[in-house]
Amino acid sequence: MINNLSGNRKFILAKIIVVTSGKGGVGKTTSAAAIATGLALRGNKTVVIDFDVGLRNLDLIMGCERRVVYDLVNVIQGEAGLNQALIRDKRTENLHILPASQTRDKDALTLEGVEKVLNDLAEDFDYIICDSPAGIERGAQLAMYFADEAVVVTNPEVSSVRDSDRILGLLSSKSRRAEQNRDPVKEHLLITRYNANRVDDGDMLNLEDIREILAIELIGLIPESEAVLRASNQGVPVVHDDKSDAGQAYLDTVARLMGEEVPLRFHAAQKRSLISRMFGGGGRR
Amino acid sequence: MSLNRDRAETAFTFKGGMLPMTVMELTSGDPERVRAQLAGKVSQAPAFFQHTPVVLSVERLDEPHLALERICAVCRAHKLLPVAVRGGPDPVKQSAWALGLGWFPPQESRPKAVETSPAEPVVEVETELPLAVAEGGQTGGRIHRGTVRSGQQVSAPEGDLVVIGAVNPGAEVLAAGSVHVYGPLRGRALAGIHGDREAGIFCHDLHAELLSVAGTYKRLEDIDPRMLGASVQVQLREDQLRISALT
Repeated sequence: MINNLSGNRKFILAKIIVVTSGKGGVGKTTSAAAIATGLALRGNKTVVIDFDVGLRNLDLIMGCERRVVYDLVNVIQGEAGLNQALIRDKRTENLHILPASQTRDKDALTLEGVEKVLNDLAEDFDYIICDSPAGIERGAQLAMYFADEAVVVTNPEVSSVRDSDRILGLLSSKSRRAEQNRDPVKEHLLITRYNANRVDDGDMLNLEDIREILAIELIGLIPESEAVLRASNQGVPVVHDDKSDAGQAYLDTVARLMGEEVPLRFHAAQKRSLISRMFGGGGRR
Repeated sequence: MSLNRDRAETAFTFKGGMLPMTVMELTSGDPERVRAQLAGKVSQAPAFFQHTPVVLSVERLDEPHLALERICAVCRAHKLLPVAVRGGPDPVKQSAWALGLGWFPPQESRPKAVETSPAEPVVEVETELPLAVAEGGQTGGRIHRGTVRSGQQVSAPEGDLVVIGAVNPGAEVLAAGSVHVYGPLRGRALAGIHGDREAGIFCHDLHAELLSVAGTYKRLEDIDPRMLGASVQVQLREDQLRISALT
C-alpha cells in the first residue's frame, strides 16, 4: 500500500483520473464527488478538482460552498498558494476539494498552469480526480489532457452514447499520453441513471448496446435513484448514503477502480426472475 | 430481378460485372493532337495498346460538334478500341450511338488529373489500370485497427481503406478506392472519392448513416431495412447504389 506520510511520498506519483462525458447533465460532477469520496473512505489521499470554470458546481455537491476562498484560477495565476485554495472535506478524512472560479471563464486556464498544479498535487495525493466540464472545448480538453485514466459517464440514451464516443476519440488523440506515444489513457465506462425496468420496456438503451458501441471496459453501473438528487441538494456525496442503491453502486465502482473484482449489481429489472431474463430477453413491450 | 428467372429455358442471363476499363479523358477535340500524343504513348508502353477497350471521356470539352469518328479512327489505328463515350452534350451522345458506341452520363465528381509530365496534355489515361501495373505502380492503401469513433475521420487518399473494428455513428471513413469494414458500419462511408466508379463498400453489420460511391449516395433512410444488420457489398450500378448481401 501507498504510504500516506508526505515525507516519504516523493517517488510515488498520484493517479490522475478525469471524469468526463461530452454531454452535460449526465452526472459527471455527482460521479466525481462520489468516486473521490469513495476513494478517500478507502484510505486513499484524494483531491477532486472542479475544472468547470465559470459554472462551478462541485463545491455544492460536496457541501463546501461556504468555505470557498481561493480557487483553481487563483492558484494558476499565482494569486494564491495551493494550500490556501484546497478545502479539507469535513466528513471524510484524506479528502480535499479544489474548487473552480465562478467569475472567470475557461480561458483563464493554461496548459502550463494546470500541469504545475497537477504536479504539485501529485506529490501529496494518491488520486487526483478531475471533474471535467461538458463539451469538447478547451475546458474539457484541459481536464483530460494529463489524465492517466478516464471515467466516461454515459446515460442509457443515444445522444449521450454518441457524445461519449466523441470524448473517447479525443482521449486517444488529444491527451498527453497520446501525444507522447505512451500507454494510452485507461478508459472506463460508467453508466449512470440506469433504470432496468425502462430498459426492459425499450425506453432506454440496454447495457449491452452501450458496451458494444463504446467498446471499453465497464467500471460501474449506477441505477437511477432518488438518493442521488437528495444527496446533491444536501451537499453530501451519495456514497455516504450506503443504504441506497446508488451509494452502493458507487462504492462498487470505487472498488473496481482500485483493482478489485466486484460483481455487477442493479442491472436487472425488478420483479422479474433470472430465468425470464435469460430466456425471455425479447419480452419488451 | 425477374430478368434471370427460368434459367434453363433462356439463351442468356444478364449479370452485373466489374471490369477494368481505361478512361481516355480528352482535353482537346483535335484528332491530330490526339494522334501525336498517342504515338508517344505507344512507344512508352507498347504492351498496353493491344486492342484495349477504352471509354472516351469528353466531359472536359466544350465542343458540341466533336469529330468523334475521326478520334475513334485515330484510336483504332493505335490499337485502342473505343467502346463508349462518357459525357458531352446531346449531339455527341447521338453521334456516339450512330458510331455503335455506348454513352455514359458525366461523372458528378471530377477525377483529379493523374498525368503530370507533358506541358500540354491532350489525353489522360487514368492509371489504376493495366498501364499502372505495367509501369510497376502500386496504389497506397491504408489499414486502420480499432474503433473509429464519433467525430473521427479516417481516410485513404490513394487506394483502399481497411478498417478492422467498428465505425461508430458520427464517424467518417473515406477512400479513393474501396472501403472495407471488418466490423459494424454505423457511421458514414465514402468510396471512390476521386471518382472511381468501380470502388465499393464492404462491411459486416450495415447500419451506415451514409453510403457513397463516386459521389452517388444513399442515406440510412434510403437503405432497404432488410439489409440493415447484414454483411453487404455496396456498388455503383447504372448510377444507383446497389446493396447486396455478402454470402
